[in-house]
Amino acid sequence: MIKRIKIVVIGFGSIGRALAKVIALKRKTINNKYGILIDVVGVVDSKGMALKADGFDEYELLKLCEVPRSGVNLFKPYAYQGVDLDVLYNSTQPDVHIELTPSEYSSGEPGISNIIYAINRGVHVVTANKAPLVLKYREIMSSALSKGVEIRFRATVLGGTPFIDTLMSLRSHDIERIEGILNATSNFILTEMHEKLVDFNEALRMAQALGVAEANPTLDVDGVDAAAKMVIISNILEKPLKIEEIYRESISRVTLRDIIDAVRQGYIIKSITFFDVRGGKASIKIVKIPKSDLFAQINGIMNGVRIRSDATEIVFIGRGGGGIETAHSILDDVISIALHYS
Amino acid sequence: MDSRRLCVIKIGGSLLRDSKSYLESAQKIREVFIENGYKTIVVVSAVKGITDKLIQVAKGSQEALRYVSEKYLEIAKELNSVKIIRRVDEELKRLEIVASAISGGGIDLSLYDLLLSFGERISKILMVGALEAVGVSALELHANELIVTNETFSDASIDYISTSANLEKLYSSIIDNPAIPVIEGFIGSTIDGRITTLGRGGSDYTATTIASLLNIDAVYLVTDVDGIMTTDPDIVENARLVRVMSYRESLEAALHGAKKINPKAFEPLEKFYSSKLIIGSWSRFGTEIVREISRDLWGPKVIMNRESQGVSYIAIVGEGTSSIPFIRRVLEIIDRNGIDIVGIQSYVYRPSLLVYVTPSYELKILRLLHKELFEGV
Repeated sequence: MIKRIKIVVIGFGSIGRALAKVIALKRKTINNKYGILIDVVGVVDSKGMALKADGFDEYELLKLCEVPRSGVNLFKPYAYQGVDLDVLYNSTQPDVHIELTPSEYSSGEPGISNIIYAINRGVHVVTANKAPLVLKYREIMSSALSKGVEIRFRATVLGGTPFIDTLMSLRSHDIERIEGILNATSNFILTEMHEKLVDFNEALRMAQALGVAEANPTLDVDGVDAAAKMVIISNILEKPLKIEEIYRESISRVTLRDIIDAVRQGYIIKSITFFDVRGGKASIKIVKIPKSDLFAQINGIMNGVRIRSDATEIVFIGRGGGGIETAHSILDDVISIALHYS
Repeated sequence: MDSRRLCVIKIGGSLLRDSKSYLESAQKIREVFIENGYKTIVVVSAVKGITDKLIQVAKGSQEALRYVSEKYLEIAKELNSVKIIRRVDEELKRLEIVASAISGGGIDLSLYDLLLSFGERISKILMVGALEAVGVSALELHANELIVTNETFSDASIDYISTSANLEKLYSSIIDNPAIPVIEGFIGSTIDGRITTLGRGGSDYTATTIASLLNIDAVYLVTDVDGIMTTDPDIVENARLVRVMSYRESLEAALHGAKKINPKAFEPLEKFYSSKLIIGSWSRFGTEIVREISRDLWGPKVIMNRESQGVSYIAIVGEGTSSIPFIRRVLEIIDRNGIDIVGIQSYVYRPSLLVYVTPSYELKILRLLHKELFEGV
């Protein structure tokens, strides 16, 4: 028995394209393994939509990745000018809504409205957009519960690893603290500063050239992204924090002098996010750690988190947010939903 | 799809100058291959001269950056597709960001390769646009996602095992679709995703790797000449096309500086699958390079005058040229004409004979030997 899962992808930047590509390459294998055929029936960006009720084929999915940014409305003959979720849902009848719009932490839009819309239409949600969870975690989860739909978000924290799933599964543990390197961009910049002995601005330029940092790097550099991830973690642990309560230090303040002094003393400088679960306090601090410390070995675009519970200590190391890795996390969430509801 | 009906076509930079040349190549791919029932994988180089300009960009030349941008945008505009114009424009903006990061300080090798990669990458977008403009559906492949290399930036070697896994996965997803896949040559990436380049002439290497890993029989290397010539036609007007050569002969010719093929391109052909290389222009594919040639095709194939470390020499390349009878024949020709030489060099395990000469006799000996050995006198 083949179960068809129809998905719509809202937001079509680098993660959305990586997802389209991975689905094109793997949907046959996934079908063979699990009896689940994933059909992408709609793709939406800020200017328009591409809709195909019986699902884009492999070639069309790869071809979609060739449209320019905000250019889904050029994808003939499936193009639709402007964004209208009613049209999207009515014409494609999706099973899963993939929310990949950019994280925006003052209003949470358009992510919050999109996710609420999906829930109200009885559609499961997989999100890589953190902002709706950061600002409205409880509201979203309780309305999902009442509508009987799932919200999955493995891609939001250590997006290239199953960190979120593992954290959720530690049900018998009393988690005491969580700490680690949660932002790949700032970790990359600090690593560059150490390895090449360049100042912050030059390391940032390098990160931007390689596509590791965005044109406006504030969210990553100033610790907002790491704080957002900690808010999501705190909600999972039912000790919810508000993003504005988290103390943040920006890596833009780190000078080359600081790096050289630290290295001379046998230390390296990292941006570490720390959550004292019992005390209900979290922070993102620029700290000197000994070269032998575990976190000192996590460099470049790698992330690492240590979970300490009353029973044990678990460490996760992995890619934070590479397109292909994150796309796989999203896809794993989709498959989980499909398996659960078939 | 039967892999015998599948071939690889590499479009050399010498053919890519303007929008007309992209459209012409696209039209020819359609007429020569697709309409004859072949499916092709197209490998493209950068527009002629662009890689040199990008090297200048790496050294901080704003003028070269402007040249590259204007050239590619002009071609995109003439192809007259909103999609292609916007895509090229996006790539050029990224190129500017990379260029500004490079001019900031000492050159980081991975940034340098990333910068060079824009020449081929944009060319690929343009080729897909040109194919679509002549009514052929086409699909971009991305070398940085398929061709895995080691970390030798600027002269990387391909990791065949990882690359083969990537190619097979892709192959099974797209092979049943009529769209023509187009990939940029010369580019790869390390296992952790940093862009590398394969060295000068690296597009040949990309083409032979794809063909040999997918067991494809024919690789067409399309350029602006009809094939490999027996010698430089600017020096010897009776130079003619070489019909068939072996890998060994062709590699030997390449090692002596015949610029036709990057020597690394032969490695996958020797190791995995011996695809036939077919070299020529859109009007004529004059030369075939095959794994082995039969004994009756032995003999000199190419003769050229070279210089190495201030010493001039004539290289004669071909199976059998290092045999005693052949060496004797060459020396007799030279002796009969009363010319002095500086020395000869030949190894029985290599298909070549080098004749060291004083520079004043160089062209005379070249013409003489070409006449006697190639012109059937």
